[in-house]
Amino acid sequence: MPRIELGSWIRSGINFLRDHFQWLFDFISKVVQGMYDGVHDVLAAPNPLLLAGILAVLAWWLRGLVPAVLAFAGFALIDSIEQWDEAMETLSLVLVAGAITIVLAVPLGIWASRNRAVSALLRPVLDFMQTMPAFVYLIPGIFFFGVGVVPGVIATIVFAMPPGVRMTELGIRQVDAELVEAADAFGTTPRRTLLRVQLPLALPTIMAGVNQAIMLALSMVVIAGMVGGGGLGSSVFEAISSVDVALGFEGGIAVVILAMYLDRMTGALNQRVSPLGRRALAKQAASAVGGLKVLQWRPATSVAMVGVIVLALVAGGLNVFGGDDDGQKVTADVGKGSTVKLGYINWDEGVASTYLWKEILEQRGFKPQLQTYDVGALFTGMAAGDIDMQTDAWLPATHASYWKQYKDQLEDLGTWYDKTSLEVAVPSYVKDVKSLDDLKGKAGTFKGKIIGIEPGAGEMKIMKDKVLPDYDLNGEYTLVKGSTAGMLSQLERSYAKKEPVAVTLWSPHWAYSKYKLTKLADPKGAFGKGDGIHTIGRKGFSQKQPQIAKWMKNFKLSEKQLTSLEAAIQDAGKGKQQEGVRAWLKKNPGLVDKLAPAGGAGTTTQGKQAGAAPRIGYFPWDEDIATTYLWKNVLEKRGYKPSIKQYDVGSMFTGMSAGQIDVEFDGWLPVAQKQYWDRYKKNLVDIGPWYDKTSLEIAVPSYVKDVKSLADLKGKADKFKGKIIGIEPGTGEMQLLKSTVLKEYDLDKEYEVTNNASPAMLAQLERSYAKKEPVAVVLWTPHWAYSKYQLTKLADPKKAFGANNEIRSLGHKSFPKKYSEFYGWLKNWHMTEQELASLEQAVQDAGKGNAEKGVQKWIDAHPGIVDKMAPVSS
Amino acid sequence: MSRLQAEHLYKVFGRRPDEAVAKLEGGTDRDELRTDGTTAAVIDASFAVEAGQIFVVMGLSGSGKSTLLRMLNGLLEPTAGRVLFDGQDLTALAPRELREVRSHKISMVFQHFALFPHRSVLENAAYGLEVQGVPRAERQRRATEALGLVGLAGWEKSWPDELSGGMQQRVGLARALATDADLLLMDESFSALDPLIRRDMQDQLLELQKRLKKTIVFITHDLNEAMRLGDRIAVMRDGRIVQIGTAEDILVTPANDYVASFTQDVDRTRVLTAGAIMAEPEEALGTTTPDGTVLRTESDIIAAAPATVTADTPIVELFTPCSRSGVAVAVTDEEGTLIGVVPRARLLAVLGEPEPGADDGPDATAKGPEAIKVSKTAQTPEAPEGKVIAGA
Repeated sequence: MPRIELGSWIRSGINFLRDHFQWLFDFISKVVQGMYDGVHDVLAAPNPLLLAGILAVLAWWLRGLVPAVLAFAGFALIDSIEQWDEAMETLSLVLVAGAITIVLAVPLGIWASRNRAVSALLRPVLDFMQTMPAFVYLIPGIFFFGVGVVPGVIATIVFAMPPGVRMTELGIRQVDAELVEAADAFGTTPRRTLLRVQLPLALPTIMAGVNQAIMLALSMVVIAGMVGGGGLGSSVFEAISSVDVALGFEGGIAVVILAMYLDRMTGALNQRVSPLGRRALAKQAASAVGGLKVLQWRPATSVAMVGVIVLALVAGGLNVFGGDDDGQKVTADVGKGSTVKLGYINWDEGVASTYLWKEILEQRGFKPQLQTYDVGALFTGMAAGDIDMQTDAWLPATHASYWKQYKDQLEDLGTWYDKTSLEVAVPSYVKDVKSLDDLKGKAGTFKGKIIGIEPGAGEMKIMKDKVLPDYDLNGEYTLVKGSTAGMLSQLERSYAKKEPVAVTLWSPHWAYSKYKLTKLADPKGAFGKGDGIHTIGRKGFSQKQPQIAKWMKNFKLSEKQLTSLEAAIQDAGKGKQQEGVRAWLKKNPGLVDKLAPAGGAGTTTQGKQAGAAPRIGYFPWDEDIATTYLWKNVLEKRGYKPSIKQYDVGSMFTGMSAGQIDVEFDGWLPVAQKQYWDRYKKNLVDIGPWYDKTSLEIAVPSYVKDVKSLADLKGKADKFKGKIIGIEPGTGEMQLLKSTVLKEYDLDKEYEVTNNASPAMLAQLERSYAKKEPVAVVLWTPHWAYSKYQLTKLADPKKAFGANNEIRSLGHKSFPKKYSEFYGWLKNWHMTEQELASLEQAVQDAGKGNAEKGVQKWIDAHPGIVDKMAPVSS
Repeated sequence: MSRLQAEHLYKVFGRRPDEAVAKLEGGTDRDELRTDGTTAAVIDASFAVEAGQIFVVMGLSGSGKSTLLRMLNGLLEPTAGRVLFDGQDLTALAPRELREVRSHKISMVFQHFALFPHRSVLENAAYGLEVQGVPRAERQRRATEALGLVGLAGWEKSWPDELSGGMQQRVGLARALATDADLLLMDESFSALDPLIRRDMQDQLLELQKRLKKTIVFITHDLNEAMRLGDRIAVMRDGRIVQIGTAEDILVTPANDYVASFTQDVDRTRVLTAGAIMAEPEEALGTTTPDGTVLRTESDIIAAAPATVTADTPIVELFTPCSRSGVAVAVTDEEGTLIGVVPRARLLAVLGEPEPGADDGPDATAKGPEAIKVSKTAQTPEAPEGKVIAGA
């Protein structure tokens, strides 16, 4: 079976959507976020018990006295277990998702019920939405919508929509055909039939669908919590990731209370809104007797509305008089109120370092925002630019897979802790196992299992590839794949029963303080050196917040500092992390100033003509893309506002001579672009060459052994299928090749030079190279292909390609005056072959559309280059 | 001019219906079409209904009668042919105009009542008026009136599911009557009711019809019902109308074996009238009564007859007199003039198997079928203004 690259097609599709429809996703994101904020503001504003009262009045109206009392009790319980804020976040999320779902699902259902084709088309889509595991689209959802509430809402909508659509369709189809015919026979319009006959009769079924949609929405909140959806989902997620049974249960019970309330209320709403439901209700009320009547009495709609409004007004009033004073003394206002989003994994050292920096940054006038994430979501969120930085990346091993995937979108701000280790741990009551060697032959004791963590984790890979083989444990033990939370629960369980258990663990880890564990010694060093804990920023963070980046580069904690900080936070108790940090800082005076020295803020230097906006043109050729983006980056660092635009050769020269383009960096003279230069030079200015190691040539892969020079091509047409893979037909090189070179070497009868776009030529090269087939391509130096493949530049003993070009910067004649500073920089600019090749490679690696990231990476790897290229005398 | 005319109506379901119609016109059989996957539900149906008539379409299930009915008010669009209502071609109307006609001029009563379960009895009865856009107060007044007409005064606030089947269908009838539509389409309207109630409803319909004089097209699969209600009856089989005529026509001169076999189960004693089977008065002249009197004049015959009846009297009422005496029963017109006699032998002869064909059918009667009159008023022979259902 050939491998169908379904996955990578989807990936390219996703990338395409992200690149081309970002405006749409931004719009959706804004709308959803706006709705959520609106609802949340309303729900979060009143005093919890007042809102519980409002919700209870609603329950009274819809279902009667007993449910009202139960509802109040339930919400009061949520408040008393300190899950109120989370519950309101969740309720907001569910209400927003539910409302959007219904607004979309009911019309879709109606449409499907009236049109067989729509119905047939919708069915597989709904199946897909309902059964595709949420994680599969949740993580890509981050690409589009960023982390936070929005992808949670979107995932919830996707999941909750199918029952809404299906039940609406079913409900309408179920309406007796004779009734619809009767309506028709009396001359009812289709629209009226829908509104007055079909919808009222389908309403019970539709409401059942709405009820299902809302319940499904609630069941998604925990998953939404993993991508920063907040609310009860975060509580539960936080709890399961640290095996905190107490918090987990509290979060869970709050979800249950919300679910029951919403379920009963939407169920009862059905009776209130549908005529049939109202009738059933009236019958039931009529049959009730005596005392039951009191319990079943419900306030009329108007009375209930008045009750709700009065309570709401009271709530609003109280809020006006309330007001929060979250005092925070700012010791040195470096941040000037700029927001920094900190993400963290709910591991002790992550919590400790993140809250430490929260405190420090607040003292320095920043506004840090904290949010806990699942590891995958954290990295994805950072790569998407939604999270500014995190302090808990374990590199190079533990988080290797994430780092590898996203490193181009991230920047490493340095290591702050390196006393970590990876290990296998056993409870210390397992007496005779002290080192990995001791595990051998004891498979019986441990039931042949070592409890592992997520299969993608770096530690698991090391275990599998290195540790198990080195200690010859492979046959005896299976490494159980699972999750960190699962491993910890297993540890907890075995520990409680005093059973032997072996788990993969790492230090620092709170498990060592909670349980008595033995870290198994690793005499063979199979685990290698421990990871360093790194601070990571999103790409461009150090540029945006150079001061923070600088602090982070110098940030270090000793083992003693870290453990005491963790202990201080532990002592302060859940939800009071920051107080713990403050207490700890009090014991470590001067540390804030040491970690975050204020003053001497290193802003980038502005150029003299900062704000000028030169228009730069470029060709879609690698060296030009690379250098243009390089200059764009450098100019922006100097405060310029350059705009860049791509042209082909002809329009570039025309545009530049007309003054529409100020400058370009890719003038191949005196040969390749001679004809254009000669025609337009009176309006242009030659700023000077920045690269002179160019040449034009034909290249073949070096595995084609016997072809070293152009002369060798003769008589080998069969080998190359009679073709030389060319580039754009208008280029000087192609013209030169066709008019002179082939004739000179007497190849014009044997070979045909094909016209292609340069990327097509390169794709053909790639393809042939992979298959080890002979191929001859038209190429030029500098080119990244020479660093990517082993190619032979065919010698040109007859000098048919003529003298070497230089690459020059060319500008409109007004350029030197208008942009004198830039002009000066360009005049003195030179690149070495190695610099240019690595820059092209960096851009190439970053991938299409990410040239800026590639350039930034290259600049980072060449410290001082900016100052060299664009010196500013201060 | 007839109130309602159907001209060569065709309805074909399936692919390329127009081709199928062309084939049918060319004489292709319905079963041959079915092998292509097209179903001809109605084939070349033409008839006319006069104002104030009850026109019954009778046929077994699958004969196309319901499809035919739905083409009359445009619920189904005919594949070919025209429907003329008061001279207006309904098939040529745009959907909006057609809805207008349906809401004002044509109403319909359904087999399973088709009452809206989410509306009260009054709201159901007022439905057609609501669609017409009649103001609330007026439509409630008219709906209440219509409910009174069908004997449901006082049930306005009830809900459909609280009523018995018969009462529900009366609501259906009231809903149809409330709009003052002239044409009433009734689709097996009494078939779902049990026999006693069905009979009641038939009586009530006839009663109402006497007063309201609507034009009614009534669909049924029950020949007895057809004979009781129909001024004219169309018998359908396999999509075609096989015979149109009065009850007697169908009973006495069935067009073919199919119709004849249909009429077997009909209680002909209630359908046939004295007028239909009577002999010329001369036949009784010269006969002798058991007491030896020879009947010489028409007045002798009337005097000696065990009973004197009118031509409309169903023959079921002749048996008792005939059993008492060998003398023929006298049939007189309104003025008391003797117009015919029914001797015992003749009475017994008409109960035998009907023999199709004009030559030796049961034309023991000397008069042609065109003279035969329906006996539907025979149930209430004495001009029954007083026998209206309560509440009317």
